Amino acid sequence: MVVSVKQLEKHYGPNRALGGVSLDVEPATLFGLLGQNGAGKTTLIKILLGLVAPTAGEATLLGQPVGTFSARREVGYLPEDHRLPEYHTSTSLLDLYGALQGIPRRERRRRAAELLDRLGLAGREKLRIRGYSKGMKQRLGLAQALLHAPRVLFLDEPTDGVDPVGRKEIRDLLLEERRRGVTVFINSHLLGEVEQLCDRVAILRKGKLMVTGTVADLTRQKASWLVAFDREVPGSFRFPGATLAAVEGGDRLRVSLDPAEGSPHLPQAEGPEAIDRFLAAAGAAGLRLRHLERERATLEDLYLAIADGGGTP
Amino acid sequence: MNQRDRNVRTEDGVDGRITVRPTLPRTFAAMLRDTWREFLDAKVLYLLLLAIALLFGAALTGRIEPQPGGRQYLDIAARAMAADLDGIDIATQSMGDVAGRLNGSVYAISAAEPIDADLPEGRWTATLTRTFIPLVGAPESGEEVTARFGKIADGQLWTITEIRETGTDWARKIGSQTWDMTVAPGRDLRLLWPHRFTLFGDSIELAGTKGAPLGLEVLILQKLLATGLGGTILLLVSVAVTAAFVPNMVRKGTLELLLVRPIPRWQLLVFKYVGALLLVAGLLGILVLAVWLITGILADVWSPGVLLALPSLLVFFALLLSVSVLTGVITRSVISAMLVTVAYWAILFIAGQMNNVAVESRIREANVGKLRPTSIAETIRGRQPRREEGFAPGRRPFYQTTIGRITEGVYAVLPHTEDLDNLVDRQLMRDFAVAGPFRALMESGSFSWEKGLGLTLLHAFAYLGIACTIFSRRDP
Repeated sequence: MVVSVKQLEKHYGPNRALGGVSLDVEPATLFGLLGQNGAGKTTLIKILLGLVAPTAGEATLLGQPVGTFSARREVGYLPEDHRLPEYHTSTSLLDLYGALQGIPRRERRRRAAELLDRLGLAGREKLRIRGYSKGMKQRLGLAQALLHAPRVLFLDEPTDGVDPVGRKEIRDLLLEERRRGVTVFINSHLLGEVEQLCDRVAILRKGKLMVTGTVADLTRQKASWLVAFDREVPGSFRFPGATLAAVEGGDRLRVSLDPAEGSPHLPQAEGPEAIDRFLAAAGAAGLRLRHLERERATLEDLYLAIADGGGTP
Repeated sequence: MNQRDRNVRTEDGVDGRITVRPTLPRTFAAMLRDTWREFLDAKVLYLLLLAIALLFGAALTGRIEPQPGGRQYLDIAARAMAADLDGIDIATQSMGDVAGRLNGSVYAISAAEPIDADLPEGRWTATLTRTFIPLVGAPESGEEVTARFGKIADGQLWTITEIRETGTDWARKIGSQTWDMTVAPGRDLRLLWPHRFTLFGDSIELAGTKGAPLGLEVLILQKLLATGLGGTILLLVSVAVTAAFVPNMVRKGTLELLLVRPIPRWQLLVFKYVGALLLVAGLLGILVLAVWLITGILADVWSPGVLLALPSLLVFFALLLSVSVLTGVITRSVISAMLVTVAYWAILFIAGQMNNVAVESRIREANVGKLRPTSIAETIRGRQPRREEGFAPGRRPFYQTTIGRITEGVYAVLPHTEDLDNLVDRQLMRDFAVAGPFRALMESGSFSWEKGLGLTLLHAFAYLGIACTIFSRRDP
């Protein structure tokens, strides 16, 4: 396990930031950590980095207790709302962090040049960070996290303020890091991006771990379909076990075949036979099929259900 | 943990990994470069260099020119022959102290004429007379007079190049000797000689029309520019610039990026502190060296005493910086760090001044009715010693009042930074043969620069230690 957390608790005075979180993360995983502001994501990461001491519980990173120097040598961190010292240039800043990380001068220069090139910051070496755009700062923040080739990366909102092309580049970069065997933790509010990128996600609410699993599992297909026919469905049309609802902004209908629908984070896929029977019945009623699409539960559906406090799995 | 393992190795599991450990020198060098960059970013260096260049330019328009006045120094040298002053400190000892050294003779210059010009470099012809009691004192030879004339303690005002006794035999028998002699200026005459000091052509006159002793002028100039106004302004600028260092570092979003590094937290703070200190040492070095060069070029006096101002000011700044760092760690605010540091400085200054009053009141009380210390140099110049007056009826000495007691109590726990300044003053006064009651007081042993240094460093280390403890324990 790259990260192993058991019954981790953190209290700030009377406030409970984390209340008994347990989590295991395997190597070479892109792990998404989701939750509302104040859910405890950043506290969890800070404990894993050794920046904050837990009130109770255990946490190990790469088999060592968190916070030891040997554990810290293996992690890269991009904090949320980071403020890179503005008096530095990209090269001087990477040189500082590289030296504090213990990298010899020649090596850190080589690494810095390589990373700046990889993150599209080459050619701006003389510009002070004061003159950087938000996206450039974000890229440089990523560069410093990757500088010492860590085995674990903790990234808080890594694509914040980056344009769409840049986001794609960053996603590719993270996928490449994973291919090299690096484990990446991502805190993000961009659920679409997490869904696209991450292998596994965990959702925190009020310091508790609500759900954890692979993205594929959590976004399984739902038992609903989107259909369109060549004309309006007559009011008299009925099919037992199916609910029909018009989808806004189009001629499509949502056909729900699962009576237990309503708990989107616990989808229960029906076999394909049900829709076949439905379409046959529609055909018999004189309706011709123009469009058929199976609906999926998105991470957003799941997230909203949990974050709203809608239900626990 | 072995901090010396610097091998770069790639390990299995993750491709292209760098596994290295920070070393103390590497961390230190990195923090130093960071501090230097942050300092340069404040753009103050260029302003300071410009200010020093302007100062240089202004000073170099100045002229220091000797005024006529050789006769009075011949008189002083003759009068001082009445006692054996060899090897005693004319600054601290009064005539009373050397009463036992009086030889019972009276010397005077009866005629004097400059050969070249009445300037500190010029030679003179002079007639020296001696009156003594025939049975008590014996006639003196020309060699004996040559050995003693113009020599006061360690100073050398004049040297006799030629001497010839001119008095008659019967005059010698009744206790009167006369010599015609040629004298050349000694090593220290120039420092005591009155000089006129003007700036910007002739438009500003700094030492009055008659001038002041060259040594005194150089001393005042060096004090003003190095430890006085110049040093104070430079330290204020340094406090303003360095006050931002720690708050900037511990800002949320910046701090985390430093704390995740595999190094102890105290190193970040201590190296930033040392970095700032080295920077300011450089600035003070430039200032002090510039002052030394300016006075050297202007007055052709190259005593290195003013260079002592560098360590003295630097130790003081080390204390101010530790206060600034501690405040910065606690409040994370640049303004607070700056204000608290300046307030601390003000408290030190006020407490120091009030303590001086208390110390003087103690000395005065102990010396009521006794002669006030008047240095031999002053006495030779004709100042009459005065007796210490008693306190008015019903008035207590300051140190016995409530405020006086509080003052002494507060001062006792403060770092005695005044003493560091006094060290420089004392050295300057020695360098420039400046004498007077102030120097007498300063050399009386009522201050100890060792104690000042020790207490100042102790306080600085304590503040820095507290800052490190808070910094290491606090959750970011």
